[in-house]
Amino acid sequence: MVWTSLFGIITLILLARALGFAKAPVLADAAQARRLAAEALPGFTATDAVLARDGQGALVAGSDGRVALVRSFGDRWVVRIVNGAAAQAKGDRLHIVPHESMFPAAELDLGPAAGDWAARL
Amino acid sequence: MSFPDPVQMAVPLFIIAMIIEMLAVRAGARGDYDWRDTGTSLAMGFGNTFAAVIFGATIVGTGVWLAQFRLLDIPATWWSLALCFVGEDFTYYWFHRSAHRVRWFWASHVVHHSSQHYNLSTALRQTWTGFFSLSFAFRLPLFIVGFPAEMILFCAGLNLVYQFFIHTEAVGRLPFGLEYWLNTPSHHRAHHGTNARYLDRNYGGVFIIWDRLFGTFEAERDDEPVRYGIVQNLATFNPAWVAFHEWISIAREVAAADSWKARAMAIFGPPGWRVGTTADSIRADWQASRDAATPAE
Repeated sequence: MVWTSLFGIITLILLARALGFAKAPVLADAAQARRLAAEALPGFTATDAVLARDGQGALVAGSDGRVALVRSFGDRWVVRIVNGAAAQAKGDRLHIVPHESMFPAAELDLGPAAGDWAARL
Repeated sequence: MSFPDPVQMAVPLFIIAMIIEMLAVRAGARGDYDWRDTGTSLAMGFGNTFAAVIFGATIVGTGVWLAQFRLLDIPATWWSLALCFVGEDFTYYWFHRSAHRVRWFWASHVVHHSSQHYNLSTALRQTWTGFFSLSFAFRLPLFIVGFPAEMILFCAGLNLVYQFFIHTEAVGRLPFGLEYWLNTPSHHRAHHGTNARYLDRNYGGVFIIWDRLFGTFEAERDDEPVRYGIVQNLATFNPAWVAFHEWISIAREVAAADSWKARAMAIFGPPGWRVGTTADSIRADWQASRDAATPAE
């Protein structure tokens, strides 16, 4: 039974991949990033936002000074407040390591805005 | 009357149904899959079967031991089977409601809600720590009432098999008034929602009438698509983290708490109590903002 189950599991995973269920989401615009942050964080009122150049992440500022990281996860999005997170701007790129176990670091190419956003965290 | 294991019998059906759903979605049916998410869900289901083997005997043994104190000697007949099925679903409602309202139980049940997808594979995203959270205790009254142990386990299995098939977006709403009586794909989609409207609603297993009776029913609305997942969605597909993250979070909060009340609430309070994001507070804030947006008469 164990081997039958394992065979079934592997078959289903491979089938899902073969059928193209493997998207990498891309943010359409800043409005989408603001909406995602507002939906994910109770009480969060999004104001301005900056998108990574590849569209796979964004930072969204809230009216209360909090800053939310929106990043892709599988074919969906995850959102976290990143004020106080370890953040380092190098040129156009901002490297963020949230204080949360198993939450992967984010590398956002924010262009010239990287330094300003780093200062807001 | 003999009672087979409905879940074991249904496993091939589960696999076939998932394949059909994937193909249907590719052909244009409503729904979505992600191979990584599906992999995690199936890994959780696989691990759950091992947990069932390891702890199942203890759970059944507890029930059988309690049966010596039974109030009635209920025979294994069709009428008692029907009664047991309804009774088991009633106990499921209260287990499920507690699993969302008490963090100790939620720490185990959160696994099932931790996918941002809603498809048949989500149904198999099951806990590894159900025994540890003592969630089986909710079913023990059935043994004390006097239903045969095999019958109770059979009904629990049937309940589980039924619930597998409602984890889909491909089915809209059921006809013939079934939406009033049964927990359907539509009702259960709402249950998996993180929208303030849908949070902690529709706990029923097979029958939705329990929610209608006890004030926890919320209908899915076409003008408010369900956002699936949990209030703070996970950012990893690691099955071990999916299985244990809430237990670890509880342990950390208990260790950091500065009072006994905080410790107790970290364990037995509602999920989100420490950070002020309980389902009740989220719904209250949402309701207040709606009321504020509605012009006064």
